[in-house]
Amino acid sequence: MAPTYNIAMVSDFFFPQPGGVESHIYQLSTKLMDRGHKVIIITHAYDGRTGVRYLTNGLKVYHVPYFVIYRSTTFPTVFSFFPMFRNIVLRERIDIVHGHASLSNLCHEAILHARTMGLRTVFTDHSLFGFADAASILTNKLLKFSLSDVDHVICVSHTCKENTVLRASLDPLMVSVIPNAVVAENFKPYSNPAEVARHSFGQDPPPARPLGPHDTITIVVISRLFYNKGTDLLTAAIPRILENHPNTRFIIAGSGPKAIDLEQMVEQNVLQDRVEMLGSIRHEEVRDVMIRGHVYLHPSLTEAFGTVIVEAASCGLYVVCTQVGGIPEVLPSHMTVFAKPEEDDLVAATGKAIAALRANKVRTELFHEQVKSMYSWTNVAIRTERVYNGISGAISEAEFYGYDASNPASWSATRGRSGVQSFALIDRLKRYYGCGIWAGKLFCLCVIIDYLIFLFLEIWWPRGKIDICPDWPRKTVDERREPGVR
Amino acid sequence: MAPPSGLQQSAITPDASNSLENGAQPQHHHPVLVRSATVPVNLKSSRPDPSHLAPEDAFVSASPPRRPGLFDNGNGSGNELRPRRMRRKEASRSRSRRRKRFQKLLWVKQSYPDNYTDQATFLENLQRNPRVQPYDFWPLVADSTIILQHVCSVIIFIVCFVGIFQERVSPVSVVGWGSFATFIGWLLWDWWVGQESQDGPVDGTPRAGAMGTYRDFRPPRRQDSDVGLQALSPSGVNTANPSALPSAASSSTNLIQEPQTQRHAPSASNNGNATSLLTPGHVHSRSVSSIHSVSSQTSAAARAGSGEACGSSGYRGAPASRWDRAKLRLGTIKSAILIYFTLLGLSPILKSLTRSTSSDSIWAMSFWLLAINIFFFDYKGSWDGAHKFPVASLSTNAALMASTVLASRLPSTGQVFSLTLFSIEVFGLFPVFRVYARQRSWRYHVLLTVLLVLGAGCGVGMVLGGEDEHLPWKNGLIGMVVGCLISALALGGCSWWLIGLQKYKNEIYGPWDPARPIIISRRHWDDE
Repeated sequence: MAPTYNIAMVSDFFFPQPGGVESHIYQLSTKLMDRGHKVIIITHAYDGRTGVRYLTNGLKVYHVPYFVIYRSTTFPTVFSFFPMFRNIVLRERIDIVHGHASLSNLCHEAILHARTMGLRTVFTDHSLFGFADAASILTNKLLKFSLSDVDHVICVSHTCKENTVLRASLDPLMVSVIPNAVVAENFKPYSNPAEVARHSFGQDPPPARPLGPHDTITIVVISRLFYNKGTDLLTAAIPRILENHPNTRFIIAGSGPKAIDLEQMVEQNVLQDRVEMLGSIRHEEVRDVMIRGHVYLHPSLTEAFGTVIVEAASCGLYVVCTQVGGIPEVLPSHMTVFAKPEEDDLVAATGKAIAALRANKVRTELFHEQVKSMYSWTNVAIRTERVYNGISGAISEAEFYGYDASNPASWSATRGRSGVQSFALIDRLKRYYGCGIWAGKLFCLCVIIDYLIFLFLEIWWPRGKIDICPDWPRKTVDERREPGVR
Repeated sequence: MAPPSGLQQSAITPDASNSLENGAQPQHHHPVLVRSATVPVNLKSSRPDPSHLAPEDAFVSASPPRRPGLFDNGNGSGNELRPRRMRRKEASRSRSRRRKRFQKLLWVKQSYPDNYTDQATFLENLQRNPRVQPYDFWPLVADSTIILQHVCSVIIFIVCFVGIFQERVSPVSVVGWGSFATFIGWLLWDWWVGQESQDGPVDGTPRAGAMGTYRDFRPPRRQDSDVGLQALSPSGVNTANPSALPSAASSSTNLIQEPQTQRHAPSASNNGNATSLLTPGHVHSRSVSSIHSVSSQTSAAARAGSGEACGSSGYRGAPASRWDRAKLRLGTIKSAILIYFTLLGLSPILKSLTRSTSSDSIWAMSFWLLAINIFFFDYKGSWDGAHKFPVASLSTNAALMASTVLASRLPSTGQVFSLTLFSIEVFGLFPVFRVYARQRSWRYHVLLTVLLVLGAGCGVGMVLGGEDEHLPWKNGLIGMVVGCLISALALGGCSWWLIGLQKYKNEIYGPWDPARPIIISRRHWDDE
């Protein structure tokens, strides 16, 4: 019988706000619940969304009233979240607190308080940060603070893992790489003519497959139009691509500050009939836009994972992308053409992709099944479950971390001999103290105050007085399907 | 194209895929993962936790790009790495053919646990300090003399104030010598400019540079008030739009605003802005807010004329230059007289400006203002209009405000007038002259530095030496020696320290940094 856990996902970013982190949390929670765990989500209150909400599958969301300062990140007060957090955790009998996104203040506070309360903590990092500018230095210091005492960290790509290990000075062994996934059912390629009737393609004919020599190739770009999404590259490359390849057109979806540059480019080069700009679209519409094209162009300058290129490949599009961040790890080479983040190279790579498609050398119709077998949320949930098992001692430390149990020298100082990180206050203080000459002392002070608040709360609102919340009936996992789970 | 092998391995049936994905599964087929397979090698190191980045990592290997082995700390454990991996590979191959090499890919179903850290590929793209340029000692010292110059001139100003305040120096002599030095500086300047305009326009390339210097340094020729205040808003020097200027200079004092508005006209006309050149009324309409709007109108008109003259001397070159420069000198003298009388008229007001404030507040305030002046001063010395935030104008404004509040502590009108005029000379005109002297010749720069250090040292010595009537020069000499020593120590010590700190430099670059896009065909719709 596999152990099941009560898990609290904590992040500032959750629905109704759209986004990658948000859907990651939702999908992962749903799949974990399918595997018999109990999952709740703690986020801050959004407009018109306060209190407790239930989503599909009995997923419970706590919207904590909190002061939002910038792009739905809450104000960092370090301690003020503790009383309510403790109440929720005790009420829901949480064992594991799982925070998401390094810019989410709520998640960092929750990790600190959870460790004070003696819970296991996991952190998932979704983004890449540099080391150069002042904002990154501050963010990295805070990340180091909250990750000093975390039990395990999950990163979405190997590049992201390297980045996080460096930023927070972590033991690489306590960082797992578990990629994002896509719901392949939502990104099926264009298949039957009936669908064409359902989705109006406007004046354009549906994408021709297989391609004749004079059929129009449609290149799709779906991204927010920001600098770090490479919109400048796109703006420079589009006229040249269209000039080199007569029967091509672009569909660009998304909005942002750089949209005006694109529009100017279109007007300057009189490309109105070959570049279609859709403005911002909802996530549900992404697939409908994607299936109108043959090639997906992704000119981003930095990307931790790049879910959108997986979605594009799942829709049967040939992917042209810049070789930055975690992107080279995401898709096999037969689905992608990589370009350096340079205008010339991007134009050349797109030309190569168009030529390959014209020669019908790329079996795009197979992409969907292949992507489906590569990425699934169930797989992500299983791998996350192994992390939970590892940190809570359900699988031995030697197995989880790959220790040689007989060799005492191989014990890491960050973990005790119990196989898991010790909760003793003095051990925790030791870990925080190493964060820096001044920062270490400051962090220790914060931890001590947090502990005092915890003691105070234990006296003021005793555990016995807090109601226990009745659980949603749990799903049972079919054990025959999981022979390996212990 | 055939799908790579990783794909075939990932079976579609839930049974097999689950067992594959499950981390516990390798247990059945493979030996227990030993730490040597997954963990950094140098466990026997003296560091408590070798797998963490320790502070030593930041500078132990200062030599730029580091090799992949991040965790070997230099005691040969890097060599240990390879054989061990080989051995593991051999072993695993003999037991099972299915265990593949670890790949840094996400789409492949790997037979390694998720937290497996591959020694060979982990952090292989990490670069450390790839673009660091080491400092050299002597150039660093030479560059830091610019800061020394400025600090010394601030010290000289303070010493003069203390002298006037303690009534040990007559204010007339201070301002007299100051004005004399300014006059000499102006003559020198005029001579240099004359020299340059003779050989400047002959060939093309030096002309561009000469033009730049003209534009930057023309105001000092015109003299005092507006010369100095040119430094107020360097961002405005090249702006064709004069209306940007009043916002750049905060109107901390009316005194500052008055000459400042005056200098729009020349700076606008420098850029060949014909409209503002021909319509002086349009230019000075902005100076209405200043007290001296009436007088500044006339002067602005005069300035517009002189600006035109100087513009023509700068751009058209030698032929008309003699007449133009004479006209320019006349304009300069006019504006100098104007400033002189303006200050004279303002002095009684300034004298009683802060009567209700206690002296302690004034000392503290002027300390902070002068500190702002020093820290925000434009040591770069080239006004290319690239400033986003007008820090240099902040600096000069702070200094003039400091001088105003200090002057308001003085008992008599004459003293107030002297100190204010002197402060305009020191903070407004002198920096411009220093920059020009430095560009002109390195020898002048060194000479000026030495003079300033000696002057500041002497002044401080005399002020601190107390009221010793018969031996004031002895204190002054001691001050000079000590000043020279301190400045030499500071220059050498700080430079050496900065070079020493370079070993802590630890810039990290890797694939996670946002790429810098290379765009060749710069969009031509930008430049409109």
